[in-house]
Amino acid sequence: MAREIIAGVFCCIGTFFFILGTTGLLRMPDLFTRLHPSTKCDTLGACSVMMGLAVYSGWSWELLKLVFIACFLLLSSATCGHAIGRSALRREIPYWRKKGGEVEDGHGA
Amino acid sequence: MDKFLTAVALVISLNAVLCLYRAAVGPTTQDRVLGVNIVGTKTLVVVILVTFIQAENFFLDVAIVYALLLFVVTVATSRYLEAEGWKEAG
Repeated sequence: MAREIIAGVFCCIGTFFFILGTTGLLRMPDLFTRLHPSTKCDTLGACSVMMGLAVYSGWSWELLKLVFIACFLLLSSATCGHAIGRSALRREIPYWRKKGGEVEDGHGA
Repeated sequence: MDKFLTAVALVISLNAVLCLYRAAVGPTTQDRVLGVNIVGTKTLVVVILVTFIQAENFFLDVAIVYALLLFVVTVATSRYLEAEGWKEAG
């Protein structure tokens, strides 16, 4: 019973972060700002759901596979975000600027 | 517990459908790649949830292969878009 409660709490945390990531992906104004919530949604949301299911499954081979997928996702999500960001930077996709603010050189960085 | 896991899987699937909007109308190609990456991650989590809903162990192996494929696809597409001499269509 305690195991199911812990799994439920972890799944709720993961679902919350997934909803947060979707909102960020749809509402952010720029590619570089969209990269930020989406990688958070990958690492935090998916890994907390997997940790909850690992607690639910108990001591078995499923736990080993789930921990392996979670560790791989921690590495691969960051690498994917970096690759997409570098591709956008080399293609010189313009930044988002606040309207009416101080406008500087868009491709400085 | 099965009903709770089904509800979680349904909510995550709804999120994936919403993320397809960014993959469809994203202003740049990198936006589309990002949207496809996020949809793939959510599908991975749904596959893992289906493993525990249906109590079939082999779906976890499917999830492992899916995670590896997703990583390769995203990195290869980004490196391809980064290459010199490539112009955006339209």
